[in-house]
Amino acid sequence: MNIRTIGLVIGREYNTRVRKKSFLVLTFVVPILFAALCFLPSIIMLNMKEQTKEVAVVDQSGIVMPYLENGEAANYYDYSSYDPDSLKNRLEAIGKDILVVVSPIDSASNVSVQTFSKKPAGVDFSENLASRVSRAVEDYRIKSYDIEGLDQIMNDVKARTQVKEYSLGKDGKETVSESGIYMIISMVLGMLIYMFIAMFSGMVMSSVIEEKSSRVVEVLVSSVKSIDLMFGKIIGVALVALTQFALWILLTAMIVGIGGVAFGPKLLQGMQGDNAAQMSEMAISGTGLHMEDAVAMMEDGDLKTVLTTLGNIPWGQLIIAFFIYFLLGYLLYASLFAAVGSAVENEADSNQLQLPVTIPLLIGFFIALMAMRNPYNPVVWWGSMIPFTSPIVMLARIPYGVPFWELALSIALLAVTFAVCAWASAKIYRAGILIFGKKSTWKDLWKWLKQK
Amino acid sequence: MALIECKEVSKSFGPKIALDRVSLDFQEGKVTGLLGPNGAGKTTLIRIINRITIPSGGEVFFKGRPIRQEDVEKIGYMPEERGLYRKMKVGEQAMYLAQLKGMSRQDAVKELKQWFIRFGIQDWWNKKVEELSKGMAQKLQFITTVVHKPSLMILDEPFSGFDPVNADIVRKEILRLRDDGATIILSTHDMGSVEELCNDIALIDKSRLVITGDVQEIRHKYGNDNIEVEYTDEDGRHTEVLPREIAGNNTLKSFIDRGITVNSYRELMPRMHDIFISLVTGKEEEQQ
Repeated sequence: MNIRTIGLVIGREYNTRVRKKSFLVLTFVVPILFAALCFLPSIIMLNMKEQTKEVAVVDQSGIVMPYLENGEAANYYDYSSYDPDSLKNRLEAIGKDILVVVSPIDSASNVSVQTFSKKPAGVDFSENLASRVSRAVEDYRIKSYDIEGLDQIMNDVKARTQVKEYSLGKDGKETVSESGIYMIISMVLGMLIYMFIAMFSGMVMSSVIEEKSSRVVEVLVSSVKSIDLMFGKIIGVALVALTQFALWILLTAMIVGIGGVAFGPKLLQGMQGDNAAQMSEMAISGTGLHMEDAVAMMEDGDLKTVLTTLGNIPWGQLIIAFFIYFLLGYLLYASLFAAVGSAVENEADSNQLQLPVTIPLLIGFFIALMAMRNPYNPVVWWGSMIPFTSPIVMLARIPYGVPFWELALSIALLAVTFAVCAWASAKIYRAGILIFGKKSTWKDLWKWLKQK
Repeated sequence: MALIECKEVSKSFGPKIALDRVSLDFQEGKVTGLLGPNGAGKTTLIRIINRITIPSGGEVFFKGRPIRQEDVEKIGYMPEERGLYRKMKVGEQAMYLAQLKGMSRQDAVKELKQWFIRFGIQDWWNKKVEELSKGMAQKLQFITTVVHKPSLMILDEPFSGFDPVNADIVRKEILRLRDDGATIILSTHDMGSVEELCNDIALIDKSRLVITGDVQEIRHKYGNDNIEVEYTDEDGRHTEVLPREIAGNNTLKSFIDRGITVNSYRELMPRMHDIFISLVTGKEEEQQ
């Protein structure tokens, strides 16, 4: 080990990568995306408020109109005494956006609804309208049975079950929890660490291939030991990754901060009261996207549960674990990718050879997806212990809480595996970088590994 | 004195033997031609001296003691397959390689600037390597090989890729460096430059050392000991090749006595080219 030359290798790797356009673009685009994600819900709500629709209603059934209450989304006007056909043409003249025609009640105690408008009325509007009309029809039918107190009975019969989850802490204290939140955080963490490991260890591989294909590697190893060159490269790219993370966090915080100061009051207004309730109602009955977590977030504006759950997540442990698992996972895969890179002369040839390295990474990703729904599955447990998948799977498990000994064991296994793989990769790398002019296979890599 | 001594150096890759007990000295301050057909094991030997490859057997000595990793800072190596980072700027690239050889930043800048001026490429410092012509890139490669004033320079086909003018500049630089005391290993197939530049040669064939020694002695040894006499008589100009026994002083005297003008009289030395071929193919080439 020669610290001076490793330092030079690290410096070159770092400087050339940080000055690349792709690095700069990624550094600035990602925080903007993150910030946009933070602001998006408020912005959507704000825009909704402005679009109050003016609706003319021709209620031929005589039962629907009372159910159409004016709200933020629409103002309803009773035009029941007019002829629908003539209204269609005068819609603009009377200053209305939409014409709703409710048919007379038919023999099956049903009504049909038609809407006419210049611009499409929108899914939210029609879903909302449909649910209101349905309620009107339901109430009409209940009344038509003429049983006293039936509406009360029907109301009582309607079940609206809500599962409130409590996590039992070590001290037996109950805390409110929301599995939707856990799922989202688990999914985001699993995906992020998978992406970062794949991206940055892939960077190491292309760097190795670049030096080999440009033949500069033979000059380099006449000055630097090949093992120093390989680790200098891996460390250099790791520093690039850490720089990128730091910049992402800093820039996102800056954008959110500036955005918060500039638009804060306005955005908060958008979040207020009935708007939020209306929005949640729409989200539930609305788009048909019945993701539990969406419901969990929105239902009855149960913001308190969400906040409590977020408060219960071990953030400190999470952040430390993220860095440890990213670094170790990256080191493990980067050394494997370096060995693969040393065996090929151009990026195109690498596809086949890197498959055995990519597959465990992918398996880890899929187990992480499983962990998100079912964190106590044995496959997930083993996946969080086996070093090739553990960085990704364990991260997906952590929001649900992981005993310390499991974390320690998993990290120790990962570190040992890294040491073994790094040693093997260094041997393969040393031989591989000097082999030119033939397509290497895994058999060759095995041969190089055994070479003295 | 030998700067580098290889003692019984062997290297095998699995069942394939690349070098078979090669013992060879490279004399300080001399240019040694490392010759041999493709695949003979020259590159393997060069890589072992450079400590890129570890020998399977034998040992390399540097200044009389076993070679160490630090000693690579005293070696400059220009591989046959030239290579530079294509996307890197010329100056940064040269600085990087010079610093890897142990130079400080300041020394590297100072020395490199001088070399750039000497080779007429000072304007290229901030250009990217991929913008350079092949000849320019070769010059840069040569500079990065010699900038740290190595005591041993290993040049693998140093003239390939150079036009005659630039090849001549490089040839002069090699001789200048040798005169400054550097030891040079010149691996080449160009026998003309061997005759011109090398003091010693070492010929490797099929993983073994075939011959090593002083160029003149070897040429002498493999000559047929013929003398070429060029003379002018009344019929005109003649050239005749005679064995040394015949072309002695007596013959010369008789020429002069008969009033024949002797224009030249010289020992016929075999060309390195012929020695190379005869040693490698194992057949004596017909001497004219």
